[in-house]
This record gives sequence, structure tokens and C-alpha cells, in this order.
Amino acid sequence: MIDLSRAGAVARPDGEGRAGGGRCNDRVRFTLGLVGDRLEQVRFGADACAATTAAAAWLAARAEGGLLLDAARLGLAEVLVGAAIEPAGVDCALTAVDAFHASIGDAVARGAVVSADPNRVVVAMSGGVDSAMVLTQTVAEGYEAVGVTLRLWIDPEAPSPERACCAPSAVRAARDLCHQNDMPHIALDLRDDFRAVVVDPFVAGYAAGETPNPCTTCNGAFRFDAIDRAVQRLGASTWRTGHYVQLVDHAGTPLVARGVDATKDQSYMLALVDPEILTRVQFPLGARKKVDVQHEAAEHGLAAAKALESQEVCFLGGGALAPFLERQGVTMTPGPIVDEDGVELGTHAGALAFTPGQRRGLGVSRGTEALHVLRIDAPANTVIVGTVGRLRRREVSLRDVQVRADTPRIDACFRMRSTPVAGRLEHGPNATATVYLETDAHQIAPGQVAALYDGECIVAAGIVVG
Amino acid sequence: MGRGRVGQLSPAFPAAVTPQLFVRCDNARVIYLDHAATAPPEPRVVEAMLPHLTERFGNPSEPHALGRQARADLDAAREEIASLVGADPSDVVLTGGGTEADNLAVLGRAQGQPGRMVVSAIEHPAVRRTAEVLARRGWEIAVAPVLPNGRLDLIELWDLVQTGDALVCVMGASNVTGVVQPIADIAAICAEHAVPLHVDDVQTAAGAELDLSDLPGRVTIALAAHKLGGPRGVGAVIGTGVQSLDPIVFGGGQEGGLRSGTEDVAGAVALAAALRIRQGAQAPAERVRRAALRDDLEARLALPVVGVEVERLPGHALLLTGYRGDTVVRLFDERGIAISAGSACASGETLPDATLTAMDIHGDAARSAIRITLGPTSTAADVDAVVAAWTELAPALQLATEASA
Repeated sequence: MIDLSRAGAVARPDGEGRAGGGRCNDRVRFTLGLVGDRLEQVRFGADACAATTAAAAWLAARAEGGLLLDAARLGLAEVLVGAAIEPAGVDCALTAVDAFHASIGDAVARGAVVSADPNRVVVAMSGGVDSAMVLTQTVAEGYEAVGVTLRLWIDPEAPSPERACCAPSAVRAARDLCHQNDMPHIALDLRDDFRAVVVDPFVAGYAAGETPNPCTTCNGAFRFDAIDRAVQRLGASTWRTGHYVQLVDHAGTPLVARGVDATKDQSYMLALVDPEILTRVQFPLGARKKVDVQHEAAEHGLAAAKALESQEVCFLGGGALAPFLERQGVTMTPGPIVDEDGVELGTHAGALAFTPGQRRGLGVSRGTEALHVLRIDAPANTVIVGTVGRLRRREVSLRDVQVRADTPRIDACFRMRSTPVAGRLEHGPNATATVYLETDAHQIAPGQVAALYDGECIVAAGIVVG
Repeated sequence: MGRGRVGQLSPAFPAAVTPQLFVRCDNARVIYLDHAATAPPEPRVVEAMLPHLTERFGNPSEPHALGRQARADLDAAREEIASLVGADPSDVVLTGGGTEADNLAVLGRAQGQPGRMVVSAIEHPAVRRTAEVLARRGWEIAVAPVLPNGRLDLIELWDLVQTGDALVCVMGASNVTGVVQPIADIAAICAEHAVPLHVDDVQTAAGAELDLSDLPGRVTIALAAHKLGGPRGVGAVIGTGVQSLDPIVFGGGQEGGLRSGTEDVAGAVALAAALRIRQGAQAPAERVRRAALRDDLEARLALPVVGVEVERLPGHALLLTGYRGDTVVRLFDERGIAISAGSACASGETLPDATLTAMDIHGDAARSAIRITLGPTSTAADVDAVVAAWTELAPALQLATEASA
């Protein structure tokens, strides 16, 4: 029976979630009224087919009166049985499940607090194989594992929107895995914040001729903060991620150290993460090889084992930089490509899409020399090129420098998994510093993050100025 | 195995067929208001056909006593069918159902070189899809539009029909809206152009009087027994146009060579018995009774009615609920009331019904249509039950829809 007694809306909801659209234009909305972490009222709206309406009505009846985290355990499989959905109605029921979980995520985002449980561990899940294995392992260890996935970006105009990390299918994959294990899953919709903190500065950086590294910003200043806040609301004191990094204790401060699998090391991406947050985080994969994790995932039959790996800047959605920037409102204007003496060698379609060090796509030559982008002069809309020798640097200025451990000598990395270059760090005023390198470094562009290691550990980090 | 004794039912066969058999489902009484989909079997029809499924089983083509008996039964049924619709018995071709009847009437005029056909915009798939097949074979298919009230636009039809066309196809009454077409006028237009007319009367026969005797030109109609309280798999093509059809099924040359295959005597007897109920002397009074129930239902539900301005089948109501039709159908079903939706959902997309599209009813309105169709078994209590269910459901549906935004 479709129970319509919970049709309607909670007047001042503590959580609200919507789903729908698509070809059949079904629309479902849930509103939640909380007392503590108990769902005192669950109301649904549905302008939808019978299967969707049945699923929504069943979810509302099932969840009302129960705990928020128990509602977060209700998955599609349970709905299909409970609401007696026919096979043809599975996609329809999924719309109701999506809206329901959006309302739960919204309740957490709005500040709902779950009573603490020392046995609870939050697992940050991307929908990929690594975090899936962390969840499986955490469940096997006997913890109550709460999966948390961030919804960060949807760009339907990207060539393959599903390749963006945290795409709808990735959120569902993470949710399904939690539900298979009878564990709660929370999807936090942080799309507005993500745009403000990560995407807009990325676009602005390019517009100013810089080469910002959004992944480091995302992990360092956004994702870890957001999940850590959610972890505390979800009544857990510990959380885990699937990053291939390790933590090393330095006089009570946890330092990010390289993962054992050098080919998958992600320490660079976490260079800016606040050490205070790191006291609550565990990285179970840091001591493991990716290939072993993949084998184990396949043995566990994890669907995520075959999922697309996001390696590039996730929100580009499988596309090139220039069309993305144009979609974000950056105007690409043709202009000159010149050498360091100002001799015009050719033209470009828009200076902002170029990256220092870049060689391909220039279409200019000077004799037999291979030419690389040396820098972008954004105000003049000019790309300055030169030989690879002109890219070599021994001295790099940094801003916004964070120091975790003071060491005289450092090994500097300016991009993910690049070969470290030995040098020393000399501090200046106002969190500035200069890195003096012992050998040449290449392809260093303003806006990039400099991760400074002492051996395997990151002891300091900053943003390249020039 | 010894020879079975003729003249006795096997012990496994139900001793009595009671009306209750047809109104119970999962041991709960169902208020069946989906007569346009299929009519509940008429006990009188079942009774009439039973002997032909048991002891009177002979093949009408055989010269022995059982065969001659079967031939006599078949001839009698054919004569009754013909007389009930105003046709000649030699113009009755029995088929394996309504869809086959429509296929014979359309494809039976398309066995030569590709030509041109006129098909109305509101045809049942049995005609529409068949015309689409012909279009892929090189035929020109001209679509005759309907007015927003659901009736064929006769002025357009007059302009559309050309002398030399192979056929004009018009549904006698729509299975979606129940709107009845002015067949006499349409037949006159076709006769004027010397073009044969095929009328899909599968739905019409259940609720309107059929009389082919006055129609000019070469006319065929299609019937199906199950819409009349008879069994599935029994249909007929009837009318003066039958003689100029080419067969589409080949074999032993039964049914005047137009429908090979051993004749279904039980089916023919059942069709005759069903038509006797729906077209016989008692039928007009029953239609008046049913129309009064339908009008009462529509007045009390106070929902927009499709085709209300023109003549409709007496038990037929297509209503625009303002909510998703299939959801309303499911909610009624859960309350023991069987009705149907105006549009079907297929692979994640609700397809607007072609008939509603042709009547300029689109989008949310088309998707909100429900079809309530009454039959001879329907009662005032059924109408009360529908009104009570809707009174209960409408406020909740409104809440659900408003809260979805």
C-alpha cells in the first residue's frame, strides 16, 4: 500500500532533500523534523509515477520515529523489497532514495548532532576502489563505519561529467557499498562551498596568469575541514580515508609522510592539511601497495574496483582546460607568443590556458630549438616562450608558508610525485620564504604548491610566488 | 489410451461456472471498472461455448456426423453474428482476435504495388502500427486529423481522401476516450471517392449499436469477442468490403479463403452469444442505464472530462486528474478498484498517448489521465466506491504534489 499519510512538508525542516528531473520528470522532496538525532517527522512530496511515490511513502513511514543514522542505512535494496517495487520501477525508486539521502545529508550539514559512540569510525568515501577498501576493512575490524561522501561538483556540459570525482554515480556507488554492509551513508552537498573555495580561486588564478593547484587546496583547505566537522557531528572521534600517505609523529605533531607505494604516493596533495585535524585521521592504505589493494578489492567483489580513476583535476570532467575556463566565464582572447626578447613568434587563442613548461600546442618555432612556455603575462595577454634551459630555477619564492617542523635542509616538490630537489629554506616576513635549490628544478609556475619534505615527511609547505 | 466417451465432461472440468468466479481476485472482491481493457466473461457466453470445447469438438471440414454438427453450429453462429450487425453471413470472416482482424482488413488491401492509404490520427496500434509497416514498404500513409473534441475532422477528411486510395481507416469509437465517430458521414465520403472504409469497431461493439446495412460503399469492421464478455483470441472482419480483401494467412482455405486454419467453432458461438447480449434487444436499455451511472460518476468527481462535448460510449470516462495517472491507478487498485491510466510509462519515460496528442492534450495533463469504463456488471455501488476513494485520495495527492516543488 502506498501510505499517503506522510505526504506534505515539515514547516521548518531540519533537513530537506530533492531529486528528480530527467526524462520522466518525476519530482520527490523530503523534509525532516528532528528532535535530537531522532526523526520526529518525515514528510514527502511526490509528483511522480506510482513506483517513485510508493518508494517515497515507504521511506517516510520506515524512517519516522527512528534515529538519523538508522535512516542513513536505508538503501535501494531494502526499498525495493519493502515497497514491493517491480523491476521496471527500480530507477523510479532510486529517485526517491536519492531525495531521502539528500535530506539526511542536509540535516547533518545544517548541524544535526548524533550522540557519540566510541566504536564509530567515519570513512571518507569518493566512490572509488581505495575508500571502498577502507570501508570494508573498517567493518571487518568491528567498527560501526559511517561512509561520508561529498557532493562537490556537477558540470553537465563537461565531456564526461561522470569522470568528475564525487559525480552522482560515485555518490551512489559509495552509498550502495555502505548499505551492503548495513552501515549508514551520509552525502554532504557542498557544491556551493566547493565552488567558492576551490573552483572560483582556480578560475581566478588562471585569469591572473597563475597555475593554481586545486587538488591541494581542495584537500588542504576544504575537504578535510568539511569532513572533520561532519565527523564530530556524527559522534565519531576518528576518521579514515583511502589516501596513500602515512603519518609520522614529530614531537606530538602528526606529519604527512609519503605512502609506501611510491607510484601512488599522495602526500603532496595533503601538504596543506591542518595538523590538528590530522590527529583524528587514519590512512590505512599508506603502508600498502595499490596493486595489492586492487587485488583484495576484486576478491571482495567490489564494483568500485573497476571504477574510473580520477587522476586529473576532477571538475574538468574529462575535458580540456580552455573550454572549462570559458564555461566558467573566462574570455579567451587571441594574442601574441613572443620570446624573451619580445620577438613575436606566433599567436595563441588565449593566453590563460597555457601552463609554464608546456611545450605542446604552441605551434611556434625558433630555428631547431624546442620552445616551452616560460610564463604568462596575463595583463598583456602574452605567452612568453624560451628554451628548456630558461625554465631551470635555483631559487623559488613562496607565500602563505606553513611550517610543521623546522629543519635546515629540505627536499622540495612542486607537483604531485615529481622528483624532489634538495635545498634549504630561508624564512622571510609575513609567512614568506625562499627555497634555495642545490640542483635545477623545472616547470615551476606561480600558484603551485611547494611541498617541502625532510626525507619522507612534509615539514613545510607554501604557494609559489615566482 | 482408449477412446474418450463423447458427451461427458471430464471430472476435472468445473461442474458449474458461477458469476462469482469473475469478480474475485486474490480472494478479495474487485470493483472492476476497466471494461474497455477487457470485459468480464459473461456466464451466458461461457455456457454457450462449453459444449463446443467438450463434446461437440468436430472439425467442420469433415463429412462425418461430428464434423457436420460442427459445420452446422458454425453456420448458425455466423448467421447470428451477421444478423446482429446488419451484414450478410457470407461477409463474415472469423479471425483469431481483434488485432488479426484489423491486420487482415489493412494488409488485405495492400498485397499489390504500394499505393496510398488514409489512416486516422487516433487509431489503435493494431491499425497504426500496421500502417507504419506499410509505410516502410513504400506506401504513402496520409493521417486524418481529429478535432480537439476527439471527432474526425470531416472537412479535412474530404480533402485528404483521393479516388484510387486503397483504404481509409477510422476507429468507430476510441478505446482511449470513448468518443464515437460519425461513421455514416465518413462512409459517405469514402463511397463518394470510391475508396473502401475499414472501421475498427472492437471498442464500439461493446457500447454502441452497429448497423452495416445502411452504410454505402465497401465497408469492413473489426470485432473482438473479449471486449464483449467473450474469450480472447476470437475476432471477425465483417462487411461488404470483405469480398475484395486478399488473404494474409494461407493454408486450408477456410473462411472463404480469407482466414485459413481449422475454424474455432466455440469461439464463433461465443462471439455470437456475446454480440447477442451487446447488440440484441436488451442492449439499448442497458446502455441507457450505464450512461446514467457514468454521468453520475463524472458529475460527482468534478474532474475535466475528455470528449464530453460529443457522443461517447455510454460507460466510458477519460478524466484528467491533475496527478500522475499511473499513481492514481495504483492507489485505486490498492483500494480494490481496477481502472486504467491514459498513458503508459515505458523505460523511464511516460509516453503521451497518441490519441491525446492528436486531441492537443499534452504533457502533465495527458499524463494525469485515468480511464474508468463501466460495463453491464457495474452498479451504483461501484460508482459510490470510486467517489469515496477519490474523496479520500485527492487531498493527500494534492499535499504530495504541492510538497514536491
